[in-house]
Amino acid sequence: MLEVEGVSAGYRGSDVVRDVSFHVDEGETVMIIGSNGAGKTTLFRAVCGLLPPSSGEVRFLGEDITGLPAQKVVRRGLAFVPAERHLFPQMTVEENLMLGAYPEKPDPDTLETVLELFPRLGERFRQLAGTMSGGEQQMLAVGRALMSQPRLLVLDEPTTGLAPIVARNAYAALERLREQGLTILVAEQQVPLALAVSDRGYVLENGAIGLAGTSAELASDPRVRSAYLGVV
Amino acid sequence: MTASILDGIVLGLQFGVLAAGLTLVYGLGGVLNLAYGQIAVVSGLVTLLTMEAGVPAVPAALIGLVAGGALGLIFDLTILQPVYRRHGEARVLLSLLLTLGAAFVIDGYLNWRYPLRGLNLRITGDPLVVFGVRMRMGSVVASGITIVVIGVLYWLFRYTRLGRAIRSVIQDEEGSRLVGIDPQLMMRLILVLSGVLAAIVAITRSMVAPVNVRAGFSLTVLGLIVTVVGGLGSIPGAFLAGLVLGIINSVASSYIGTFLSLIILLVAAAITIVIRPTGLLGVRE
Amino acid sequence: MSGRAVAAGTSLVAGAETRVSRSLPRLFGSIAAVGAVLAAVPLWVGDSRVRMGVAILGLAFACYAIGFNLIFGSTGQLFLCVGALAGVGGYGTALLADRVGVPVVAALVLAALGAALVGGLLSWVAVRRSLGVIFAGIITLIFALSFENLVLGASTITGGDSGIQVSAGSGTFLRERTTAYYVMLGLVLLCLVVHGLLRRSRVGWAFRALRDDEVAAELAGVDVARYRVYAALVGSAMLGLAGGTYALIAGRVSPTTYGFAQVDVVVIVMLAFGGIGTLVGPVLGATVFTILDELLIELGQLRLLAYGVLIIVLFLWIRRGLIPTLAELVRRKPGSPPGTAPDGEPG
Repeated sequence: MLEVEGVSAGYRGSDVVRDVSFHVDEGETVMIIGSNGAGKTTLFRAVCGLLPPSSGEVRFLGEDITGLPAQKVVRRGLAFVPAERHLFPQMTVEENLMLGAYPEKPDPDTLETVLELFPRLGERFRQLAGTMSGGEQQMLAVGRALMSQPRLLVLDEPTTGLAPIVARNAYAALERLREQGLTILVAEQQVPLALAVSDRGYVLENGAIGLAGTSAELASDPRVRSAYLGVV
Repeated sequence: MTASILDGIVLGLQFGVLAAGLTLVYGLGGVLNLAYGQIAVVSGLVTLLTMEAGVPAVPAALIGLVAGGALGLIFDLTILQPVYRRHGEARVLLSLLLTLGAAFVIDGYLNWRYPLRGLNLRITGDPLVVFGVRMRMGSVVASGITIVVIGVLYWLFRYTRLGRAIRSVIQDEEGSRLVGIDPQLMMRLILVLSGVLAAIVAITRSMVAPVNVRAGFSLTVLGLIVTVVGGLGSIPGAFLAGLVLGIINSVASSYIGTFLSLIILLVAAAITIVIRPTGLLGVRE
Repeated sequence: MSGRAVAAGTSLVAGAETRVSRSLPRLFGSIAAVGAVLAAVPLWVGDSRVRMGVAILGLAFACYAIGFNLIFGSTGQLFLCVGALAGVGGYGTALLADRVGVPVVAALVLAALGAALVGGLLSWVAVRRSLGVIFAGIITLIFALSFENLVLGASTITGGDSGIQVSAGSGTFLRERTTAYYVMLGLVLLCLVVHGLLRRSRVGWAFRALRDDEVAAELAGVDVARYRVYAALVGSAMLGLAGGTYALIAGRVSPTTYGFAQVDVVVIVMLAFGGIGTLVGPVLGATVFTILDELLIELGQLRLLAYGVLIIVLFLWIRRGLIPTLAELVRRKPGSPPGTAPDGEPG
């Protein structure tokens, strides 16, 4: 579904990620693990069109989307939830969700699904997004992305700034989306959480892929265990 | 006193529309258009010339609105393109310099080709008595049009998908791109809208007093004052500040002197910046 | 606003000359060279009263351009009230001397102080928060128009549209074209020396630091807001002094003497010619412009249009100033890219 080949990207002429290749198949949940500054955010920004890659190719649903601006990428079915969420703080939950479906009218069934997944959003329907808690904002960001009825949901560190229990709830929601058959790509530092819900994973180190494998392989890899799982 | 407050409200409504055009462009794209008043003047002149060609006032005014929108579009397609390639304060600074240049180009041409011309749409009819004050028919019609325009703007931004999309760009440009909105396209639409608003101000103003070809910078400056007081980027702020300053201006003009009214507005703007740099209803810092 | 955006904010002027000569002889050398060349002008045009008038006005504009350059080029504050501040000096001098009876020199100094105070106040208001650059442009433009309204409206004091005669200075050397020229030239050189010394001082170091990277400057302990206000104070004093001196020489002031369309547009074009942030650039720009303006005099009102086009073209393509760019082109080998500095901006 998504094929990333030899992508390099960065700012002001210096690449943060270099020659990265990975792929996500239909129905899979794939995670990219890496420490702070490994280049996860830069990689995702390059994939979803917020930052044109300096070289390499990004293919989605068989079509080349390299350098396609983000607003066009999302209309092709690739929805991105950045770590900073980028909600519209002065708008209500309802308005944020409706904008998620832009330029179409929001689909009532999709809205219902989102509100079933995150009942909290229904309770806060008329509240301004900027006044909600971090966990609620994260739900809204995912909900807004789902309103575009994406084929692939890309999440960058969805648990940033969330309390452990809230983070676990967020992954419970992802697990349900996965069960519904949605293809998911997620970047995470909280590796134990992400490993539990994903099929495969890649380890990004200093802007390059260091390791790849199924979640079970990664979980048993000694390097992953010592660096990300805190097992010595 | 009632009379000057009522006059102030009439003026304030127009101030609000004037400032809305400036503040939207700034809020959306970080661009300040110093040729804004000149767009209004050109629209007024187009209306005048169309009427002189024998077209009735209403269709002529509509052509004036089209001219305003077209001029906004031309700005977007030409001198603002290099501005969009910059970010932050460099963008504002370059937009100030280039639109100032454009304002001089327009002023220079108009002063050369159409010196001393002005649009004056006289509305005939008996004065209307409002709150015991006789209001000239021109003021009543101008206010009516302005109120309708404000209503349309409110509906647009509150209830339509397009309006919501425009507000989303003002609040978080990257967020808007992530839901599939093209900020460049929104900016283009807003420049057209801002040109139309400038034209509406020129046409409604000319029902109360003539709008001559030299009025460009005065209109820009009035718009800027209202924008600063209302908060850069805030549409409700523009209308609130418009009303407040309209009343201040009108009361000050009748009790102190017309030539001092701009100074009083300047002081009002300066005090606002010092006390509340984001303006009355501004959200952006 | 993010740090990156603020740092990028000054890049429009940061592309300008940053090398500052540390040696006093070189500083005074370049100013003396400018002075020597301009001192010879009366020998060339001295027998034409009209041309001498044009030359004196050109020098007054050189002072305006230096003052504007000190404010805009050094600290990025776009002051759109150059004419109005000069007008504070001009009308202030005339009214203080003629109506109040203050001695001429005292009137001139008081009026210049008044201009400094107004300019400093506008800057102080504008730099309140992070939007300083935007607010400076807005509030100075508002002031420019307010001043014009005031002059036109308070016609019992200012003579309104037709202006007033200035009797102070009449019958003195100020009304002799040649001596008046040298007085104005002396003022130009004074402004250059003040600006030159400022550039070499700690203040100048702070100006450059905050121009190149405001955030870094702030971190290094430069009180950005304070230095912006200082620059506005000194620059506005120059504007007021030049405006006042010109009023004494010309013997009459009117709204167009200090009008926005007559002064501000011209000063911006001059700076775009001469190079923003350079020391003698404004004087070169003023010289080139004065000659150009004489050549274009046939165009009448269309000159304003031409200058508008020039502002757009110069700020779009030759941001370092036309003259420095041409000088660089001459110095470089042909074929190498022109001296337009890259944006330093991604995408």
